[in-house]
Amino acid sequence: MSNTKFLFIIVMLNIFLFSGIYSQSNIVFEKPVLITSAGQSADITLASMLCKKINLDHKAISTAKESDLSGIKTLIIVAGYSSKGLGAAGVSREDELKRIKSLISAAKNNKINIIMMHLGGKPRRGNQSDEFNKLAAEAANYMIVVKQGDEDKFFSKIAENKKVKIDLIEKIADGVNPLKSIFNLN
Amino acid sequence: MTIRKFKIKQIYIPIIILLLSSILFLSIQGKAPQVEQNYNDNHALVVTAHPLASKAAMEILHKGGNAIDAAVAAAFAIGVVEPGSSGLGGGGGMLIYLKEQNKFIYINYYQRASENILKLNYNPKLDNKSAKAILVPGTTDGLITALEKYGTLPLNEILEPAIKYAEDGFEIDEFLGKSILDNVGLLKKYPSTENIYLRDGFPLMEGDTLKQPDLGETLKQISNLGREGFYDGKVAKSIVDSVTKYGGMISLKDLKNYRAIITEPVKGSYRGHEVYSAAPPQSGLFVIEALHILENENLNKLGHYSESAECLHIMAETFKRVYADRTAYLDDPKFNSIPINGLTSKAYAKIRFNDINPNIATPKKYRDTKEGNPFAYEMQKTEKIGHEIESESKSIWSDEDDEGKPSYKIIDEDLFDNWGKTKISKEKKEKKPENIDTTLIEPIDIEQDGHTTHISIIDKNGNAVSLTQTIGTFFGSGLVASGILFNNSMSNFGYKTTINAPKPNKQPRSSISPTIILKNGSPHIVVGSPGASRIIATIVQVVVNVIDFKMSATDANQAPRFFCQKLDDFLSLESGINSNVQEFLKQKGHNLKIYEGYDAYFGGVQLIIIDPITNVITGSSDPRRGGIAIGD
Repeated sequence: MSNTKFLFIIVMLNIFLFSGIYSQSNIVFEKPVLITSAGQSADITLASMLCKKINLDHKAISTAKESDLSGIKTLIIVAGYSSKGLGAAGVSREDELKRIKSLISAAKNNKINIIMMHLGGKPRRGNQSDEFNKLAAEAANYMIVVKQGDEDKFFSKIAENKKVKIDLIEKIADGVNPLKSIFNLN
Repeated sequence: MTIRKFKIKQIYIPIIILLLSSILFLSIQGKAPQVEQNYNDNHALVVTAHPLASKAAMEILHKGGNAIDAAVAAAFAIGVVEPGSSGLGGGGGMLIYLKEQNKFIYINYYQRASENILKLNYNPKLDNKSAKAILVPGTTDGLITALEKYGTLPLNEILEPAIKYAEDGFEIDEFLGKSILDNVGLLKKYPSTENIYLRDGFPLMEGDTLKQPDLGETLKQISNLGREGFYDGKVAKSIVDSVTKYGGMISLKDLKNYRAIITEPVKGSYRGHEVYSAAPPQSGLFVIEALHILENENLNKLGHYSESAECLHIMAETFKRVYADRTAYLDDPKFNSIPINGLTSKAYAKIRFNDINPNIATPKKYRDTKEGNPFAYEMQKTEKIGHEIESESKSIWSDEDDEGKPSYKIIDEDLFDNWGKTKISKEKKEKKPENIDTTLIEPIDIEQDGHTTHISIIDKNGNAVSLTQTIGTFFGSGLVASGILFNNSMSNFGYKTTINAPKPNKQPRSSISPTIILKNGSPHIVVGSPGASRIIATIVQVVVNVIDFKMSATDANQAPRFFCQKLDDFLSLESGINSNVQEFLKQKGHNLKIYEGYDAYFGGVQLIIIDPITNVITGSSDPRRGGIAIGD
């Protein structure tokens, strides 16, 4: 293959790749916002705190159902499994997966944009959490992930495959900046 | 030839690097749980739930300390580096075996109620993770008592590692990071606590540094002043001010009067081994009862419980019965008679075993499991175990209304009527505490997680310590004062009957069961676990793995676990239990609840095995929790 042909392919690939990401990053995320959990970890409270810090009005319902989506324009799913959380909510793992699947399906049908937040780092990875993480990440139009939880590129790879933007943050508190940006709250 | 050598280097160097890095990674992660040492060469072994606590103990052993010195150092240190699980604001139990004297001692330093407890306006459902749930802490007195009576090194040397970790800080590991994350709501409840575990309102995470300068200062007070550094003076005043400010009930007098109890452990035997464990109101009694029941079955012949539904069924049915007995009879022996001899009688165990149907779960609803009648066997002691046991409970207990010997030792005819109904049932008619809502809660652990911590140590002279300590559930009450995170052990009291009901100066029941097992008169197993109500079942499974199935320390710890009790209607299993076994168990009428992989719900066993033939020592820290075995 000649150098010219090779460069052409690379340039085309880049254009193809970045056009997808660019188009996704330009999605307008609007209020009203509903935050829910996928896996019933306590991390939903952290997402809620981030929203409060930037005065982003929202409802946080850890076991939100399809009916809670009425009037909602952005759904934030905070992914991460907690056996304690599931116990406290009185739901089984299977019930929780079923709830998330139907919530995602209803959000898609109603053209509600989905943000996936993974804030818990390593403790919210592994066998127990990754089914919830994958489900939420694959449905998302945009992701905010604490870097520690993406050391193996679990979320980055999904973002790449799905051509959605992902913001990797060092600490949970850093989540305010991308949130401000995507909701035009600067 | 040169080229061939180079190629060999090319192949082997990366492999060597990979192996070395894997070993390094595993040791850093605490996932290399087994360390082997030759006991004949006068070696020691320490196993704790945190590498820094194991290191602290090993440093003390290197300074010439004995197992008791090392255990006390590790216990103070682990309260700093695993602050959500135990510490100065809690209590525990320490089982000591002194090789030279061939003697066992149990030091009960569990939390106990204030003398004013009945004035507390406490709602078991709403207040169980708050200052109102704080009982008088016993850690400082218990550890200093152990050190003064059985240790060899001065307190200030013992406390050095703990002070260093508190002041300099340490890197938060995976387990602590997850605990902080899971309990962020509780940790935000009180500003003094939020300042330690959160930054800008968000939790510290794995890899961050946790510094606790106020705790370091309190540890220095203890180092300088001994127990008075905690139970008197400015630290005591700060404790009382803070706890009462938030509605809790601890007075300066409560603190001043706290004394650990030196008593005798409970004892039994299992397939030719002598078993010693925690005295009431801690739960060693029920580890022994379970082993006595299981002794009636050849478990080895049935096959390991992860591969044999018959074996697992027998063990599960045993646990149901043992936990039913625990619910019915376990109480602070200073307040209620406990049929210790009956519960540890082999004849009683046989009756309980005969009650088990090997084919079907009985009763089907676990909560319908009935307690047995151990009082009928109270006078029949089936065997005498020949080791000296030390008890000083009378002399060291400082209550003004001290009744002397523990009441369980007093056996008289009034204890029984024609059916063997007991003094306990008569006492059930007593008036319940007025200010405590008794309608809300069963006497069961309020939280389903693996809180608490355990330390196992054997020194080069064969002295052994098995120590379990706790602040209740993870991060206890959530309240910090003078750097001390306080327990929520009020939640360990029961509120339906007078058994285990809160009373002034009373200790609630606890599942902790530090255990030491002898073979041919020498330590064979040193074991214990955190894990709330699972502790008893988990220890029994590990003991069965070692004695019945001849497993190594690592295999015994890594074998999948299960749990059931009277007050749950589930047989909880780790997914490592064979799927065919799961199907058979369903056919036998068990309602299964599966936990994927390893789960800290089933405890975090710190295990030492001394091979009775070769004297090789092995140690294993549970893969369900961060920890490490260090040999020397």
